[in-house]
Amino acid sequence: MSEYLLLIVSAIFVNNIILARYLGNCPFLGTSNRMDTATGMAMAVVFVITLSSATTWIVQEYILKPFDLEYLQTIAFILVIASLVQLVEMFLQKSIPGLYRALGIFLPLITTNCAVLGVAVLSVESHMSFIKTLVFAFASSVGYGMALVILTGIRERSATSPIPQHLRGTPLGLITVALLALAFLGFAGMVK
Amino acid sequence: MVFVLTAICAGSALVLAYANKATKPAREYQLLKYVQGPSVKKVLKGYDNDPIRDVIEISIGKDEKGHSIKIFPAKKDGKIIGIAYSSSAQGYHGQIEVMVGIDMNGTITGISIMRHSETPGLGARVVEPAFTNQFAGLKLSGQLNLSTRGGKIDGVSGATFSSQGVVSAVRKALELFPKVKKEVS
Amino acid sequence: MGAVVREFTKGLWKEVPPFRLVLGLCPTLAVTTAAKNGVGMGLATTFVLVCSNLIISILRNAIPKKVRIAAFIVVIASFVVIVELMMQAYFYPLYKILGIFIPLIVVNCIILGRAEAFASKNSVLPSIADGLGMGLGFTMSLTLLGAIRELLGNGTVFGIHVMWESFRPFGIMLKPPGAFICLGLILSLMNWISSKQRSH
Repeated sequence: MSEYLLLIVSAIFVNNIILARYLGNCPFLGTSNRMDTATGMAMAVVFVITLSSATTWIVQEYILKPFDLEYLQTIAFILVIASLVQLVEMFLQKSIPGLYRALGIFLPLITTNCAVLGVAVLSVESHMSFIKTLVFAFASSVGYGMALVILTGIRERSATSPIPQHLRGTPLGLITVALLALAFLGFAGMVK
Repeated sequence: MVFVLTAICAGSALVLAYANKATKPAREYQLLKYVQGPSVKKVLKGYDNDPIRDVIEISIGKDEKGHSIKIFPAKKDGKIIGIAYSSSAQGYHGQIEVMVGIDMNGTITGISIMRHSETPGLGARVVEPAFTNQFAGLKLSGQLNLSTRGGKIDGVSGATFSSQGVVSAVRKALELFPKVKKEVS
Repeated sequence: MGAVVREFTKGLWKEVPPFRLVLGLCPTLAVTTAAKNGVGMGLATTFVLVCSNLIISILRNAIPKKVRIAAFIVVIASFVVIVELMMQAYFYPLYKILGIFIPLIVVNCIILGRAEAFASKNSVLPSIADGLGMGLGFTMSLTLLGAIRELLGNGTVFGIHVMWESFRPFGIMLKPPGAFICLGLILSLMNWISSKQRSH
């Protein structure tokens, strides 16, 4: 039990996938301007990462490994992720239209979010069991969503402050992320 | 629509299968060089070849993953003067993998711990030279045992199981030596 | 011919990724802990970019619109696997350093972006020029950022000690905060430069 707790704390705080592992930057800055876009993105990310990490684990264990096709990992994983997102989109549109509308355009956009492929590859590389992979993927994506929401809160506030012209937008966003990353760096060493 | 996609996938599959085959020897060499290489270099002495490139795979035994044993030969002027191969045995927390270097008379030239999951500060101290250096010069005899069992090797204090695991792995390697020697000579 | 050259040079300054064309941020931040790593990553990405632009441009009329993203992904991913295999075979230490970001080239928005925006709509030669220009521009940017972070964070550039004896390196430059700050400052510098250019 404690190793799961450790895994969760590590994935959210110590090795936060965006603030410590650099995964998922492009959409991170793009969707952190308004709180409603941020929360939509965060939900979509948690959903897709958890689901795709579970699926890619199965693909790795039962298709790639037995047939000695591990060198095809990258192409297999990205195709699985792309198809999964497509299927999920179609399913949500028909069955849970409320959720579909809430996630909006972020769902298809997530296919190219390096965090999705990144977490899938990371969990496979650590040779974790299926349950641990699920926990790791879920916790990592929650960490991402959390960082996103925090960043959006800060950026919304700073939008009304006087900022030099050339620092506006992405540059200031990056510097804010830097400060956030600095804060999270304080968690390093919490988990050996 | 389906046809085009299938054609692209098929083309991709062919190209990748070819690339995989073409690069396989080079990739295996690199993996050996960087993963096992440092240990191999540590345990062999006085050679003028590249033990990694001259690796010999023999079929008289299998390691715990079911792979055939890889022998890294040390040669001088074309003659094999020593060999190195890995062996493993149960430590305190799991298998300890040891690379053992042996000269053609069956005397150990050196050992190096490659992989273990022992306790840091206790069992993990078997990797220290103070422990591993004791093995050089010994043959498969009563001396190749922990001092608590009448041998010449002082175990790491507080880590009897780990020390014994290393000794067992080394003994296993030496027991296999006569057969190995026959295969590579 | 002039048009082809223009496609090439735009990737080197006017639309250089990631500083002007803000795409491909993940590898930019992650691997630029040293100038050498920036070069390695940039060249690997350039290889994939040029090859995929080439193939996609050749096949552009054969790929039906509905499945084009899937087709692009298969082509790009194949070249990424080729890069992976070649690096494992011939550049193993660099492969270990770049780690997870080599397979992540497949989701590098630059590559999919150029495939969608350019290669699928233009003939072969301009597409190659576009890929080459963007790729080399990307490589230069990564190398520059890598050099800055390596200089401030380690006192070296390409492994050579450049700073004076008593220089204490800013280790933070090699960590995520340093990466984000450096990139942010460079982007604001680019904004400042373009605003100066516009006012002339």
